[in-house]
Amino acid sequence: MSLAELQRAARRTPKVAAKPDTHDNKAALQFLGPWIIGFFGLTLGPMLASLVLSFTDYNLLQNAKFVGLDNFAHMLTDTRLHQSIKVTFTYVLVGVPSQLLVALFLALVLDRGVRGLTFYRSAFYLPSLLGSSVAIAVLWRLVFGGQGLFNDILGWFGVSAATSWIADPSTALSTIILLHVWTFGSPMIIFLAGLRQIPREYYEAASCDGATIWRQFRHITLPLLTPIIFFNLVLAIIGSFQAFTQAFIVSNGTGGPTDSTLFYTLYLYQQGFGQFRMGYASALAWLLVVIVGALTAVNFWASKFWVHYDD
Amino acid sequence: MRSTVLSRRSVAIAAISLVAALGLAACGTQNTPSASSTGAGGTTDTGPTLSSGDVTLRVNWWGGDARVQRTNKAIDAFEAKYPNIHVTGEFSDWNGYWDKLATSVAGGNAPDVVQMDELYLASYAQRDTLYDLSKLSQLDTSQLDPGVVGLGKSNGTLDAMPISTTGFGIMVNDDALAQLGLTLPDTDTWTWDDLSAFAKKISDASGGSAVGISPMNNGYSLRLWARQHGEELFTDGKVSISTKTLAGFFQLALDWTKSGAAASASHQAEVASVALDQSDIATGKQVLSFTQATQISAYSAAAGDAKFSLVPIPTDDANKAPYGYLKPGMYWAVSAKSAHPAEAALFVNFMINDPDAGAILGTERGIPSNPKVVDAVSGSLSATEKIAADFDAKVAEHIGDAPEITPNGGSALDATIARYLQEVTFERQTPADAAKAFTAEIQDSIDSAS
Amino acid sequence: MRKRRVRTRVSSTTRHVFMILAVVVSLYPVLWMVVSSLRPDGHIFNNPSLVLNTFDTSNYTHGWNALGRPFGVYLLNSAIVVLGAVTGNLITCAMAAYAFARLRFRFQRPAFAAMLMTIMLPIHVVVVPQYVIFAHLHMVNSFWPLILPKFFATDAFFIFLMVQFIRGLPRELDEAARIDGAGHWRIFGQILLPLMTPALATTAIFTFLWTWNDFFSQLIYLTDPNLYTVPVALRSFIDAQGKSSYGSMFAMSVVSIVPLLLLFAFGQKYLIRGIATTGGK
Repeated sequence: MSLAELQRAARRTPKVAAKPDTHDNKAALQFLGPWIIGFFGLTLGPMLASLVLSFTDYNLLQNAKFVGLDNFAHMLTDTRLHQSIKVTFTYVLVGVPSQLLVALFLALVLDRGVRGLTFYRSAFYLPSLLGSSVAIAVLWRLVFGGQGLFNDILGWFGVSAATSWIADPSTALSTIILLHVWTFGSPMIIFLAGLRQIPREYYEAASCDGATIWRQFRHITLPLLTPIIFFNLVLAIIGSFQAFTQAFIVSNGTGGPTDSTLFYTLYLYQQGFGQFRMGYASALAWLLVVIVGALTAVNFWASKFWVHYDD
Repeated sequence: MRSTVLSRRSVAIAAISLVAALGLAACGTQNTPSASSTGAGGTTDTGPTLSSGDVTLRVNWWGGDARVQRTNKAIDAFEAKYPNIHVTGEFSDWNGYWDKLATSVAGGNAPDVVQMDELYLASYAQRDTLYDLSKLSQLDTSQLDPGVVGLGKSNGTLDAMPISTTGFGIMVNDDALAQLGLTLPDTDTWTWDDLSAFAKKISDASGGSAVGISPMNNGYSLRLWARQHGEELFTDGKVSISTKTLAGFFQLALDWTKSGAAASASHQAEVASVALDQSDIATGKQVLSFTQATQISAYSAAAGDAKFSLVPIPTDDANKAPYGYLKPGMYWAVSAKSAHPAEAALFVNFMINDPDAGAILGTERGIPSNPKVVDAVSGSLSATEKIAADFDAKVAEHIGDAPEITPNGGSALDATIARYLQEVTFERQTPADAAKAFTAEIQDSIDSAS
Repeated sequence: MRKRRVRTRVSSTTRHVFMILAVVVSLYPVLWMVVSSLRPDGHIFNNPSLVLNTFDTSNYTHGWNALGRPFGVYLLNSAIVVLGAVTGNLITCAMAAYAFARLRFRFQRPAFAAMLMTIMLPIHVVVVPQYVIFAHLHMVNSFWPLILPKFFATDAFFIFLMVQFIRGLPRELDEAARIDGAGHWRIFGQILLPLMTPALATTAIFTFLWTWNDFFSQLIYLTDPNLYTVPVALRSFIDAQGKSSYGSMFAMSVVSIVPLLLLFAFGQKYLIRGIATTGGK
């Protein structure tokens, strides 16, 4: 039976009286059963266990030892932790806007009407698809190494630089940020979809009134896009704080020269799965939740100043 | 009615999951009595016995190509001798080895036999992950000098069996020196200034294709530096090197980077964690290199059999108090949770005491800790191995007692040294500040581990 | 009048040229990697051109066995994990979505909110205890920790995606089936599920993509090299012994992304639509 046929059949039958709100409890338990077990056993339970662990010293091989607030006190003096926070914040505050700007720009260009839109859209999406893979991170490491491709290309433009971009603390993080910006395809598609939804009539009316392209953008496109920009921003921030693969592969698990690419999750991994300080790693994980939660909350609060929703 | 059933049941599920999660997190692992390393077993306990059926052992080690080949050959010989034991060997480079070992131990599936280093020995031993080898009768420790066996002991238990000992020196690419038309100064009496000047000379003479040397960057060299200044790196489990001496160590690295005796800071960072076979000395980009004496075989093979020789490190003190020591090159240890501790001990016994194994393995892992094996193989040493053996004999006058092994919590020592070297060579910290920060960081790690 | 038309034509050409350049720059790294994998080792570095002078597959044959096991083992392991994950997600997320979208039950609102919150939760806060749990169950160093959670609808993103989709299906269909005497399971299985194929396809494809690339979890749980999945094996490659052959590393990297490229070629429609409508990664 096709959807249309079903719909026609449904419309012919009289509406049934509304059932009471809790009628489906038993069915809900059946359908939701796996999720309930997963939520309590694999999410909430571990979250609380993690909280408890953060007050202990636990190396997985011997019993956990209660140490009170020691782990949190340690965070205050842990210079490597501070470095990792600095590195991750830099990555997020520089990388996320950069990536979104590139995505938005290209979406705008595509939206104005370019032949072969589907081709371009797919072509730009490919890096996004591959971006989080180990293979690309390995490639990046070689491209920006001392004998890498990037230096060869710079050579074409007459710039001779024999340095390894990933072995120099002042440029190592930039290569990873560049990798993030390179994966602009995914947010670009979202922007494109959003741009498509803006009625053409708005633009036509505006250009009839003599508005320039820039003014059209500022007063029509941008405001109507703000919900999507906001959405992209929230997801990108939450996601980038958890970046791991690129940092690990490019620095070979070390965190880079002078810890210049010691991402937060990499430091957490080193503490938890390298040194087996599970208690401290749990404390670090909760700190991450707090940071990401706080930033998201700030994002949501700030959104009322710049995000326009359709009324 | 139905709603309360739902809510009660879901609360029950939540409570059970929570308790389970917390309980599992809080409880430790079950220690099997035979694996306990407190040494409190009865005197009548003869330990585990060999089984008659087929047994598979997993053995892990790190090393370059040369070591892989030799070890596999030795394994074949072992399997021929004990047909019911099958050995699966796993190997990797030094850098990835420890991460993988840590995860596999924590996951409860550590290999039966692991190659161990003094850097990590204390941390694995003190977390009860290594079998007390003195309880395994299949392993004969009597052929070794008690002092050497002692290097694997802690708190009365034998945590690991020393495979080899090695001295520390500077490896010289003689072919490269000849090509550049340079000759070494007198290396028996040279000072650090002499070395600095000569290394710079090499870099200048090569016109940019090679550098003279790279800075000392590991625990072994730092300990030697400390001892040359009359101090020790660790005493009673605490960092005891003075910040002044430590700053001198970093200052030397900075001087060499700036003068061109060593490569640029970023190049040093780039090659810091590459495999032995891709290091600058092996690829002809560096002429002198600090190294454990017995690694000369591996480097020479990796460098296409270039001619290498070993010379002592410089010293500024004409009196030459014994600053050197024979470091246990590496150990064999048995996992506390091994399902076949007896067979594992048999394997370790073969690798350390059997002359046939000794002949196959040579001195690739170092001068064998078993003197009988040393005698048996001295006739069949290859050219590079002979160089290493002769070197150890030559610097014997500098050799003193071995220092403390790295305390529990200090296993990030080499990585931390490397990082602070980077801070100094990239001129982000002065050597004095780096020395202070380094000491604080290492001491903090040690304190939080106990 | 004429001036404006000329201007639009010029700007249209510049736009085309710009876009083509942008695509070239964007795809260049990947193309270079593929091309380099077909060049002998000595010709890889200092050779930025994309022109293939030689078609040398020795990197592939050499790299395939370089880790002591044929690379196919790792591909198979990844395939197993991915298959398990996709199956788990499809079944349990669809079930949960049905409950949220079509049923009325007590605590529905807070449960839905909780489900949404888990989408945004950093996984690291559950990783350590999950690892501890699996370690005590002796399931570390197996595929279970990677597959089992998917059978408990822990990927809430897909629940959300399917809920949105189901909400778009008219309730009259459910009602009609109920009149005919169908219970919830029949409504779910025979009426809604067949209509949900786009959402199911999107779920399957994204699960495939994310699981194939999931380095962190596979890194911590798989310690036996026989069980290595593709990302972990590839990382091992970088540490591998012997003279590092960049050619074979590229070759195996290309092999590791081929399934993604295939996924992209055949699943493009769902991938792009999935991203556009729900903002997937």
